[in-house]
Amino acid sequence: MSIAVRRHQPAGVRPGPPDGSDYVPSSYEARQIAKSFAGARALTGASVRFEPGTIHTLVGENGAGKSTMLKVMAGVHRPDAGELILGGEQLRSLTPRTAQQHGIYLVPQEPTLMATLSAVENLFVGILPRARLPFSVDWRAMTQTAGSYFEQVGLDVDPRQPASTLSIAQQQLLECARALVHRCNVIFFDEPTSSLTAHETEVLFDLMRRLRGRSFTLGFISHRLDEVFEISDRITVLRDAQIVAEFLPDKVTREELVTAMVGKEIAKRERRHRDLSGAETALEVDGLSASRAFSEISFSVRRGEVLGLAGLVGSGRTEIAESIFGVRPATGGVVLEGRPFRRRSPASAIAAGLIYLPEDRGHHGVFANVELERNITAATVGVLPRFGPLLRPAAEKEIAAKAAERTRVRAASLQIPIKSLSGGNQQRAMFSRWLLAEPKVAIFDEPTRGVDVGAKADIYSIIDSISDSGIAIVIISSELEELVLLCDRVIAIYEGRVVSEVAGDEITLERLGSMIVGEVAK
Amino acid sequence: MTGISPSLPPMPAGRAPARQRRSALRRLLAQRELLLVALTLAVFLVTFAVNSGFGTSGNISFLLADAMPLAILAVGQSIVCIVRGIDLSVASILGVAAVSTGFLAQDHNASVWLMLPLALAIGVCLGLINGLFVVLARIPPIIVTLGTLIVYQGVQLLICGSRTVVTVPTFYITLGNRNLFSDIPYMLVPGLLVTVLMAILLRRTSWGRSLYAVGSNADAAFRAGIRVNAVLLSAYAVCGMLAGLGGLAFLVHYDSANGQSGIETNIQLWSIAAALIGGTTLTGGKGGVVGSFIAALFLEVTIEAVIVLGVPQVWDSAAVGILLLAAILVDRYQSSGTSLRQLLAATLARGAQQRPERVTGERR
Amino acid sequence: MSVATQPAKPTRRGWRALDTNTRWLLSLVGILVAELLYFNLGVSTFWGGGWGNPNSLLGYGEYFLFTSMMALGVMFVIFAGDIDLSVGAMSGFAGVMMAEFHLGGMNIWLAVVLSVVLCAVIGLIQGLIITFFKLESLLVTLAGWFILQSAAVAWEGPVPPYNLPSGFESALGTGTIGGTIPSQLIVFAVLAVLATLIVHRSRFGRQLVLIGHNRDAAAYAGVRVSLTRIRAFVLSATFAAIAGMCVAATYGTARDDLGPTLLLPAITAVVLGGVDIFGGAGLVPGVIVASFILGWLTPGLLQDGVSDTWTSIAIGILLLGSLTAKGMSDRGQGTLLRERLRARLGTGPPTSPPTSVDSA
Repeated sequence: MSIAVRRHQPAGVRPGPPDGSDYVPSSYEARQIAKSFAGARALTGASVRFEPGTIHTLVGENGAGKSTMLKVMAGVHRPDAGELILGGEQLRSLTPRTAQQHGIYLVPQEPTLMATLSAVENLFVGILPRARLPFSVDWRAMTQTAGSYFEQVGLDVDPRQPASTLSIAQQQLLECARALVHRCNVIFFDEPTSSLTAHETEVLFDLMRRLRGRSFTLGFISHRLDEVFEISDRITVLRDAQIVAEFLPDKVTREELVTAMVGKEIAKRERRHRDLSGAETALEVDGLSASRAFSEISFSVRRGEVLGLAGLVGSGRTEIAESIFGVRPATGGVVLEGRPFRRRSPASAIAAGLIYLPEDRGHHGVFANVELERNITAATVGVLPRFGPLLRPAAEKEIAAKAAERTRVRAASLQIPIKSLSGGNQQRAMFSRWLLAEPKVAIFDEPTRGVDVGAKADIYSIIDSISDSGIAIVIISSELEELVLLCDRVIAIYEGRVVSEVAGDEITLERLGSMIVGEVAK
Repeated sequence: MTGISPSLPPMPAGRAPARQRRSALRRLLAQRELLLVALTLAVFLVTFAVNSGFGTSGNISFLLADAMPLAILAVGQSIVCIVRGIDLSVASILGVAAVSTGFLAQDHNASVWLMLPLALAIGVCLGLINGLFVVLARIPPIIVTLGTLIVYQGVQLLICGSRTVVTVPTFYITLGNRNLFSDIPYMLVPGLLVTVLMAILLRRTSWGRSLYAVGSNADAAFRAGIRVNAVLLSAYAVCGMLAGLGGLAFLVHYDSANGQSGIETNIQLWSIAAALIGGTTLTGGKGGVVGSFIAALFLEVTIEAVIVLGVPQVWDSAAVGILLLAAILVDRYQSSGTSLRQLLAATLARGAQQRPERVTGERR
Repeated sequence: MSVATQPAKPTRRGWRALDTNTRWLLSLVGILVAELLYFNLGVSTFWGGGWGNPNSLLGYGEYFLFTSMMALGVMFVIFAGDIDLSVGAMSGFAGVMMAEFHLGGMNIWLAVVLSVVLCAVIGLIQGLIITFFKLESLLVTLAGWFILQSAAVAWEGPVPPYNLPSGFESALGTGTIGGTIPSQLIVFAVLAVLATLIVHRSRFGRQLVLIGHNRDAAAYAGVRVSLTRIRAFVLSATFAAIAGMCVAATYGTARDDLGPTLLLPAITAVVLGGVDIFGGAGLVPGVIVASFILGWLTPGLLQDGVSDTWTSIAIGILLLGSLTAKGMSDRGQGTLLRERLRARLGTGPPTSPPTSVDSA
């Protein structure tokens, strides 16, 4: 039992000084890295070099391989081929443990703390300070020094507080503090800002700039181009598992960067102009409130109209949609096609003609190991054709095939597990699942998350055709461009409230950008 | 160069935890060990009031000695529960250790001091086999230990053949049933020793802390540089070792052992019940061994009290069942962060619509 | 198939083209055939006195068919990702309840029906407790086991009730139809067909399986998760109660002690049958075949002169060995065994490697 302990803590390894003052700058390079997962290629011969004192950002579409690159470099994934060179020394068979011993730390996209343990223990885990007795842990030293680490990263929490009570932003900062504990001077941030508010992001960027001032080697991933231009000293673009370009932020325009990311000029999609003034109201939400998440939300959608819900992550958009659909409790009224929709639950929502495409496809959407066919019919099991009490497989197959065709799902067969499909095809299958339910009102939460460019265009045309058939649509999206292209009207949610509304040609990127940070228009 | 100074402005406190407004009831429930001690004493005193024979020194030392095999097993069970595992095979490990040492004692008059390392070694080996299946074959622990429960039980029967252990040297009987001084039976010594030792190891060593880290979030522990597989393996080995010790304790206390020892009383389930009543959870990363030890005593006292109070003995396992339900309900209440009334109201209001909880990591 | 074609992906043929569940089922059938061949050719007494003899192929059923029935019941719960440890005690309790009702003057068949219904209600209560308070089924049903066992022992008193009507014993226990087919086999066959249809062809079964695969996604797809799980617990209790009736009929007495010993073999049959202990994947016929493999193994090995101790060891090893093999073949398709072992022996994280590269 104690053997394990001794091995993973070589004698002499102690927590590093909180200010990182004993550190030697070094560059970290990855050469010709290749990596595949279950046959899918995530990286094919990609090389990148991180220099001390720079914030080096990787950008690219979902699935381009950015995150895989950082994970390989931090020892989370073992590369199939390629070399990792830290300050001239080649690193072999890297694991997170050996990476940290070499001073390399990855702050993951979603912080993974040990929820049942205290903040201080999460800080020191894996490198607990030793007391004099053999194998013993020096709790006093831990609690005493934790404060100075927390202070360095700007984290103000009680060290004894359980990690489960920390906010996401606090957890991110704790991860950064942990990097200091581990004497790491190469720190990678894998999309750290995706769930932070603007203020929290600024706090994190401040910390990153300070670390840069101390000649730390910093890697960063973000989807938000504003952030990329704000913080980066160097930008590397990945596309289709390869490095395609490298830029200095002041030598490149936003458009050039986007073109490099998607590999082609995005076909200009025109906004559609439609007159919906005569259409009847399909969904009316009146004073919907849920403690902490949002309050007094009211809006309505007409038949055939596409309404956008804009807002930052954490603004309450998803919570509102989930409450309307009945996944989470809320007070207030919802009226569907003129009928009050009480005792809300997903089952009764679907029966009443309201559907919701969840944001988190992996957890809430697909049944990864289940056949495509049954994924498509999952929401309509209750109305599948039957012979007495028994389902009719042949009829079901026909229905699923038709639905798959309608949304152009590409798959070798309906009988393969959905996890073997690409993100775009999985999302097409989700659309076919929900279209089978014959909705009158559809809520799409991040409809193009994790899908490639081609699938995106397809999904836009699917949404167009759905709205043309008179179905009322609510779209939630973090991509403002998407809202500009698709919506007839957009309302902005800020801190759980509806703050502003725009319609028609007034929907522009700039306008939406100011709306989602709470600025009231005019 | 100086450090990264000046310090950054502190991050405003996020979602304020509901900890500040904890009710008195919640605080009491959080102190599981104290609660159990209080309950044990209460049960004891009530029973004593009804039947003064319950409080005699002979009975007290009997209760203490009688609870020890279970207590030792419960300590081991807590350790695997902390790493988010479970070990059903402890009953058979206890049995194998009891009959192996028992026959050596009966036939060869083997010294108990030789049998102690033997029992521990048997336990470690069998525990390691469990751990290897969990770690290498990635079979869920409940299935692995269900399988090894059957296999080890077979080994136990093979060792016995048609015989049973019926006589052991006097020293064994002394250890199992006599007192060290006044009311303190010899049996209490290994039980307390194991509990205190494990409590210190869990709290004060990096091995102990890595058990909690792995149980709390194995992926995060892996990323933090902890050798997850080694930690898991060690947890099953220690649990097996304690089950082996429990086997020796069983032998000296009952002066006998046979092919059914351990499994016939479903002691593996009792040990799980004791661990959970003691405040350890199946979801890992929480709990400790002191609670499990006290919970074993609590179960023993309660069961004996039930008999003394005139309830037929057959209801003793029902009593355990009810206590187990109560314990997990208390856990549920504690972890929910709402008051009991809110919890009930929310549950009632929910009706058919449920808020799905995000399933994180592996279950069981 | 109207689904558009996928660009060049080599199609697998034969064995490898089958999905994991089917492959596992076929493997089980192979094992069963091998087992029967071995016992029939190698063990002269296995056939005993032919079909109708109690000590022959079909006659052995009375030693294990009630376990198989219990396995079918607990299978529903396992499909949903839960577990029911109370089924053993439930069957014992059901037998005692039925016998006591009968001894109290009730018609035997009325007693049977009433006991089964009351057990279903107990299953309902367990399911309600689990879903209502969001407790772990393992623990709640463990508590249920303890309580039911006490209740059964307390109810029957010092002398287990015996002297059940011979018509009852014959119909659910030792009787045969036409001197060949044991009546218990008919009961099992009915339950087996029913279970197969429920899981694989009914709306409830489909939703049960979806819940087992991903409980959250099922809730978002409009499946009434709690209701479905509760129904699984009711079915589990019902099947256990029917098994309890068969136990009572076979032994001519209500036995509170036998039930709990059947639990582990029942769960073994379900898991060996290929049902994922975490829910979702699996085929009911697999469980049926597995329960026969396990059922015939005991009398077969005994007839072969193997002691019953070795027989139980063999069952445990079969369970662990088959799951290890299954796990290896499922996870490491296309990689060398050596590499897989090395990867597993290394310091890899305890979860399976990511199957999707979407979040790259």
